Amino acid sequence: MKKNILFIFLGLILVIFGSINLANNNTVYYFTTSEALEEIENMNERVKLGGFVIKDSITKINTKTLFSITDGNTEISIIYDGYVPELFQDNMGVILDGVFEDELFLADNMLVKHDNEYISEDGEVYNAKDYSK
Amino acid sequence: MKKISVLVFFWSIIVYFGPYDTTQGLSSKILYIHVPSVWIAYFAYSITFAYSIKYILNEDPKFDSMAVANAKSGLVFTAITLISGSIWGKLTWGSWWVWGDARLNLTAILFLVYLGYISSRSFNPDLLRTAKNSSYIGVFGIIQIPIIHFSVIWWRSIHQQASILSQETLASGNPPISTDILLILGLGLVLTTLLHLLFVTLFRKISDIEWENYLNPSNRAKI
Repeated sequence: MKKNILFIFLGLILVIFGSINLANNNTVYYFTTSEALEEIENMNERVKLGGFVIKDSITKINTKTLFSITDGNTEISIIYDGYVPELFQDNMGVILDGVFEDELFLADNMLVKHDNEYISEDGEVYNAKDYSK
Repeated sequence: MKKISVLVFFWSIIVYFGPYDTTQGLSSKILYIHVPSVWIAYFAYSITFAYSIKYILNEDPKFDSMAVANAKSGLVFTAITLISGSIWGKLTWGSWWVWGDARLNLTAILFLVYLGYISSRSFNPDLLRTAKNSSYIGVFGIIQIPIIHFSVIWWRSIHQQASILSQETLASGNPPISTDILLILGLGLVLTTLLHLLFVTLFRKISDIEWENYLNPSNRAKI
């Protein structure tokens, strides 16, 4: 019986260690705009940058989309060249993949990050404090 | 079988007529499939965990049947979660699968672990031995659930954080979901729970027959 418990205990530790290690090594963090601007000298390689699209900042020139994102404190201008997801719009959270050129971010991959709010058209509106903006 | 199709029919009805999130549009209705499915999968694996421990302590075939039946149903619901989530990801994020996301990868591993649990039972014709081995997987497997639950907080990535067990809910007492969406989500949970119970009954019968044949070889159908 004691052998069983030891075996279970060791197995649990192995699974916990394995999953956390795997997630740590393979999960790509994105930087918020403030974090990125703080360490902008070290941003020589490709990075992921996340933030909310600033209202009325989107302009399209040929295949490129120009816009700015913010985390509420700082802003970064983006030049995006690539597939634009359908839900890309003002105030939406996005995660961009690209490189910094001075303070300009050149991105070629975009994911739209939806928040955890689900508000229906005719249902009761969620009325708590506005956390996202 | 008939009961299962009736439940699936009602499930599709609530998805079809259910309200949707105004920003995401119609694709947000996948919520009524994705979220209850993963909750049921967690629930099923928890029952597998409990009965695996029971089986390790007391080798009663009934406990093993119950553990296996729940793992099988859990696997079905994990598959539904992964597929529906992938479709939602394509429609919302713009990608079927994001390899850098901890929650997605860990859920895929959860699927593989319980696939391993079920397939480990066919490695050896000696049911007493395989049942014992698989019950250890049933015990280890459970730890993945809290890790998956907290993965969206520990590793900042694309998957949104929890809505119902969220900071907003703690702060205001209301989850950041409209009441009608929440109601339909609850209905979906009721339907998936019933569906899960039917699956468990079905899979338990299969396991009971396997045990019966193993313990009383003379009862086996003559070939």
